[in-house]
Amino acid sequence: MRGKIIFLAGLAAALGAGWAGFPYAIYTSRPQPVDFSHKVHADKAGAKCEDCHAFRDDGTFAGIPTLDKCAGCHAAAMGTTAAEENFIDQYVTPQREPPWASYARQPENVFFSHAAHVKLGNVKCESCHGALGASDKLPRYRQDRISGYSRLGMSMTDCIACHRQQARADSCLDCHK
Amino acid sequence: MTTTRRDIFKFAGGSALGALLTPAPWRLITDTALWSENWPGIPRPARGEIRAKFTHCSLCPAGCAVRARCVGEQPVSLAGVRGGLCPFGVTGHQLPYHPARLRQGPVSEAMAAVADAIAKCGPGERVAVLDLRPGRTASWTARRAMAVLKNGWYIAPVQSPVAVDLTKARTVLSLSAPLLERWGTPANVFAVRDGFRLIQADPVESRTAALADLWLPIRPGSEEALALGLAGQLTSAETAAMTGLSEHQIESVGQTIGFGRLSLVIDRAMSPAVVALNVKLGGWGRTIVPRAEAPVPPEWKKAAPVTDLAAVPDRSIRVLLIDESAPGEYLPWDAIEKKLAAGNPLVVVFAWSANGYGRYAKYVLPTPVYPEATDDIPPAIDSPAPCFRIAAPLLAAPAGVVTPSEFIASLAGLPPADALRERARAIHQGGRGTLVTYADAKSVPVKEVKPDDFWKALNAGGCWVGQALPPANFRAPVGQALPPANPSQGLVVLATPPAPSPASPLFTKLYQESDLLLAPNCIALHPQDAARCGVSAGNRATLETPNGKWSVRILTDSSVRPGVVLAARPEMASASGKVVRV
Repeated sequence: MRGKIIFLAGLAAALGAGWAGFPYAIYTSRPQPVDFSHKVHADKAGAKCEDCHAFRDDGTFAGIPTLDKCAGCHAAAMGTTAAEENFIDQYVTPQREPPWASYARQPENVFFSHAAHVKLGNVKCESCHGALGASDKLPRYRQDRISGYSRLGMSMTDCIACHRQQARADSCLDCHK
Repeated sequence: MTTTRRDIFKFAGGSALGALLTPAPWRLITDTALWSENWPGIPRPARGEIRAKFTHCSLCPAGCAVRARCVGEQPVSLAGVRGGLCPFGVTGHQLPYHPARLRQGPVSEAMAAVADAIAKCGPGERVAVLDLRPGRTASWTARRAMAVLKNGWYIAPVQSPVAVDLTKARTVLSLSAPLLERWGTPANVFAVRDGFRLIQADPVESRTAALADLWLPIRPGSEEALALGLAGQLTSAETAAMTGLSEHQIESVGQTIGFGRLSLVIDRAMSPAVVALNVKLGGWGRTIVPRAEAPVPPEWKKAAPVTDLAAVPDRSIRVLLIDESAPGEYLPWDAIEKKLAAGNPLVVVFAWSANGYGRYAKYVLPTPVYPEATDDIPPAIDSPAPCFRIAAPLLAAPAGVVTPSEFIASLAGLPPADALRERARAIHQGGRGTLVTYADAKSVPVKEVKPDDFWKALNAGGCWVGQALPPANFRAPVGQALPPANPSQGLVVLATPPAPSPASPLFTKLYQESDLLLAPNCIALHPQDAARCGVSAGNRATLETPNGKWSVRILTDSSVRPGVVLAARPEMASASGKVVRV
């Protein structure tokens, strides 16, 4: 009886560590450089996703907007919040690009085209990026200590699942050129 | 309550089982796999602007136009512009990373040694440049340098004086020429393939033979006899006896390619007998034309003549510089070696790898390799009009490599001028021809383009195309029939076409790990012949021909014609050979 208890104790300890502790221990966590609110920009400024996350003239996706884009509206403080003041002082005035951490950056061996998905496939931003566009606060950037990738990024499993659901090609060379 | 060792093991066992029921071990495996993708040494394509660059492939004399997809300054994929690229061309951007790539060499030491050897040349001893791909601007520089040296020679493989125009041909008789494999410009050949009927006279069922409209399985070595028979210099009976074809087949082919029917006869190098046959068939000025070259500056005309290696006296070359940077027609080393002076001749090889003539040289100097090298590509044999196209570099060459033409020019004290630009200027001053640019698919007369724009366009992958020479009076040389091969006296050894070199890493791997390409130490023969010679697949044997003896490994292949031995090394080719098991 005592042996079974010890065995079960070990089992319970491992289950607890594996399910509760490990998912936190595997990631490092840091905040984004600016306390940015997608919700405020969408509600108050009436901005749409593509206003800031635009396609270039050649069809390629520009990704996270550069400081020039932000400074177009935020040349001076647009409010009195601490976040706004911090953004102006730390980045706009010294013209320093905020070191954004990209949640969705893909590995070097992945070829992903926003144009093919958004323009041709009519895939909504939320399909891959979740409710980030409607969030009031950017989640902390959590980086896997071993692989170096973001916790919130799209994994290959997610890509394959969607391609199969949409009856699209899902061979290796479609993404791994 | 004391904790025993048994308790610890039980707790560990429970923990191990529990761990397997959590995401931890599986996540660690995945993460480790992802982590391993970013190890140092794993190639990582540069991120950057994606652009298309245009150039010409210099891996073979065809010089196909290439569209390179570049990320930043790094070419990541190559594709053809007008038609496809061969597998070598498609993987050409991997060549700079070939394991056999040379990056450093004793350049200054070689320069001093060559200068010293030239100064000490005895009477009758020569300094020679062996150029594997003549006709380039670099070849002209070497010829000019050799003209400056009083005992200089410029040696190059013999080039056919004619070019063919496949667009005009309605019937093509190929005498063992690999028309659909690596003869001429592949894209051009396939673009007009539907316009002519192809008759392939070939001792083996080559890929061209398999794709031809008619395959004539002639006896090995009887191509010239067939040409003479069709020219009327041999009777049908004589031709049939020599070639192994029936008289009916020969007469039928003769009627098909009769005079004035826009027929074209080709062999590997457009030999004099084949040229004569084309002239007799009325093809001169139509299906075959004089081979034209892009203009050169007038002062370049004082260049050393092109000398055939066979015309060089034995034991006469004291200093030999071999330009292997642009792969071309390789000559057997045995034939080169007997031309070298006795007693410590100096051989310097310019090559991107030490696997070629570098094995026999005192100095091997590294050169840029495609797509690092800046070079021009002479018109291919299926280009009736002269053209000038530059293999513009897609990558920067590493420090430490040397350009052969600059090295040779400095030996002769020629000024370090940009020869390619000088030639482009001469072409532009001529004012003839058109400039074709692939990026915008335009063709503009040269006289409407400014000199600087012309040069920029050439470096951006443009191509100057001139006008074909008007057919002049041409005296057709008459060849002599070779004695027919007689398999009963032995085996006829045929050298298969060598794989284009330099080979890409992909093909090198295939080459090493499979029998897809015949290796230099292997011969292939029909199983019946193998049994007759007492050998079987995998055996070691000696191939004996009048040219010498070689230790070889046996491959058996039922597609090889009985009586024939296929070998990869050209020096093994012979009308009579013998295989002896070791």
